[in-house]
Amino acid sequence: MKTVSISGILVTLVLVFFAGSCYSQSTRDLKINEILVLNDSNYVDDYGRHSSWIEVFNSAYNTVDIGGSYLTNDPANPTKYYIPKGDPITKIAPRNYLVFFADNLPTRGILHLNFDLEESNYLALFEGNGKTMIDAIKFTSQKSDVSFGRLTDGNHQWGFLEKTTPLANNYTGVIESPGEKFVEMDPYGGGMAVIAMSVVFAALILLYVVFKNTKRLYSINFRTLFAGRKKVADVIIPAEAEITGEVNAAIAMAIHLYMHQLHDHEETVLTIKKVARTYSPWSSKIYGLRNMPR
Amino acid sequence: MEHSGNFIAFIGEHLQQFFSYTAFANVTAGHLVMICIGLIFIYLAIAKEYEPMLLIPIGFGILVGNIAFMPGLKIGIYESGSVLNYLYFGVLQGVYPPLIFLGIGAMTDFSALISNPKLMLIGAAAQLGIFGAYAIALLLGFSPSEAGAIGIIGGADGPTAIFLSSKLAPELLGAIAISAYSYMALVPVIQPPVMRLLTTKKERLIRMKPPRSVSKTEKVLFPIIGMLLTCFIVPSGLPLLGMLFFGNLLKESGVTKRLADTAKGPMIDIVTILIGLTVGASTQATTFLTAKSVGIFALGAASFVIATFGGVMFVKILNLFLKEGNKMNPLIGNAGVSAVPDSARVSQVIGLEYDKTNHLLMHAMGPNVAGVIGSAVAAGILLGFLS
Repeated sequence: MKTVSISGILVTLVLVFFAGSCYSQSTRDLKINEILVLNDSNYVDDYGRHSSWIEVFNSAYNTVDIGGSYLTNDPANPTKYYIPKGDPITKIAPRNYLVFFADNLPTRGILHLNFDLEESNYLALFEGNGKTMIDAIKFTSQKSDVSFGRLTDGNHQWGFLEKTTPLANNYTGVIESPGEKFVEMDPYGGGMAVIAMSVVFAALILLYVVFKNTKRLYSINFRTLFAGRKKVADVIIPAEAEITGEVNAAIAMAIHLYMHQLHDHEETVLTIKKVARTYSPWSSKIYGLRNMPR
Repeated sequence: MEHSGNFIAFIGEHLQQFFSYTAFANVTAGHLVMICIGLIFIYLAIAKEYEPMLLIPIGFGILVGNIAFMPGLKIGIYESGSVLNYLYFGVLQGVYPPLIFLGIGAMTDFSALISNPKLMLIGAAAQLGIFGAYAIALLLGFSPSEAGAIGIIGGADGPTAIFLSSKLAPELLGAIAISAYSYMALVPVIQPPVMRLLTTKKERLIRMKPPRSVSKTEKVLFPIIGMLLTCFIVPSGLPLLGMLFFGNLLKESGVTKRLADTAKGPMIDIVTILIGLTVGASTQATTFLTAKSVGIFALGAASFVIATFGGVMFVKILNLFLKEGNKMNPLIGNAGVSAVPDSARVSQVIGLEYDKTNHLLMHAMGPNVAGVIGSAVAAGILLGFLS
C-alpha cells in the first residue's frame, strides 16, 4: 500500500512537471499575421466598407478557437475587446486565417472591433485570463493600402508586403516543395541514398548495439551487486562430485526409456476409466415423464 | 392507337436511357484490359496460390473498379459520397497501413533477430533497392515526390508502400500498390537468379550457428526499446513503427492475449479485405492505364533486384570481417527486403538445393523482420525529406 502511494505521488509529480513544460496546441499557436491600417480602396468588410483589418493566423495543425481571447490596441487595457466564445466563426482551421475589422463598430458583428487601428501603433492578442499575451506588434507610420505583415505566415520577420493578402498566404512568390528543393541540390538521388541509408543503418545499428548487450545487462544480479562482493576467501567452491559408473548407467537408461518408450502403438493399450454420473432430478426415472400421471 | 404508339416510344426511350447507364454502353478497351488483369490476379491466387490473401481482394477489386458506369451516380471509388469512396478514405488518409502493421507486430516473433542482432544490419542494407529505384525514377523524369513513392516499392512491404504513396503521390497509389504486391508475390521468381549470380557454391554451403534461446524479458524489451530508438531517429515513421512495436508488445507482454489475438486475427483480416479491395478498385482504366504505370512496374522490378543485390552483397562484405564459424550464409541476404515470410522461404529453399540439411529459415527470419523495420524507417525518411 505504501509502495502504491509513493509511486502514485511520483507519477503525479512527473505529470505536473511535464504539464508545465509542454502544452497542447492551443491559442498560443495564434499569430497576428498581417494588418492593414490605412484601407482606402482595399479589402472590404461584409458591409462594403473599407476599414482597417487584422489577420490572425493559426500556425497549428489542428483547429484553434480564438473565442474567449482579447484583442487590444491599448497596452494599459489588455481586455479591450472580448472575442465571444461559442461562435463557429471563431474556430480557425489548421494553418488558416481569420480577419477582424478594426472599425470601432462592434455592433456590426463579432469580427468588428471596438477600436480603430488608425488611433494607435500597437496591437496585441491576449489569452482568456486577460494577462497572458499571445502575440503583440508595434508599428510605425503606415502606407495607404499597403499591408504590414510577417514575410511568411507565422515567421518572426515583419515588413511591408508586396500584395495585401487577407485570408491568404503572406508569401506570394513561387513556393517550392521540400522535395523540389532537395532535388535541386541532389538531382541524381545519390545524396538521398547516402543520407537515408546512413539513417536506416544508424537506427538498426543502435538496435543492434542495445540488443547485443541487453542479455548481459539483465543477467547482472543487482541484489548481489548492491549487497557487496564477498571476499574470495569466504566463497566456498564445492568440490566437483564424482559420478560413479552406476549413476551414469542409470541416467543413460532413463534417457533411453524417455526417448524410445513413447507408446507409439496406442491402439493396443486399454484405458480403464471410472465413469461417474452425477445425480440430477432431471434425469431421474422416478420423476420421468414416462410415468402415467395419477 | 396513338396512345399506344406514344407508350411504345416512351418504353423505347427509357430502355435506351437505361442502356446508356449500363457498363456495356460505357465500357472501353482499357476497362477490358484491366478486367483481364484482375482475372489473372484471381487465377494466380487460386491456381498458383501466389499471395492469395492479397491477390484475391485486389483482383476482385480491379473487377469492381473497372465496371464502366455513367459518372455522377455516386458509384465510383473516386466519386465523393460513394460507398467505395468512403472505404477508400482509409487508404488515402493512410489509416489502414498502420492498422495492418499493428497486426503484423502482434504476429511477428522477433526472437531470431534478438538472438543474433547482427542480422538487423542486413535489413538495413536491403533498403538499397528503395533508393536505387528513387534515383532511377528521378532520371526517368518523375517528380521527387513520385520518385520517393515509387522507390518504396523496393521495401517490398505493401502497407508501407500504400502509406507513403498516399502521402507523396496519391495519384500513383493504385499503380504503386499493385506493383508492390505483384512483385511480393513474385519474390520466389525474382530473387533466386540474383542470389545464385552473386554467391559462390562454397558460400551457399556456409552453416550458421543455431540461434540461442531468447528470454521473455528480452522479447518484452525489444518492442519498447525498438520503438523508442527508431522513432526518436525518424519520428515521421511513427505511425508504422509505433503500431508495429505496439502490436508486438501486446503479443510478448503475455498479459494482453485477447488484444493481441484481435490485432493479429479479425482486425488485420478486416483491414486486409478493405485495403485489398479498395486498392484494386482504385485501378480504374482511365487513371491506371498510363505510361507512368508502365514505368512504375519497370521500376518496381528494378527495385526488387537492387534490394536483393544490396542484402546479399552486404552479407558477403560482412563475412570478410567475421571469424570462421561466425560467418553468415549470403543466401539469407535476400530476406532483408521485408516481404515476410516469402523472402525468408526463398533463402530456405535455395539453401536446401545445395545442402539438404542446411536449414536457413530461422536465420533468414531475422533480416526478414528487420526489413520490415528498415522499410518503415526508410519510408519515414522519404516522408521527412519530400513531403
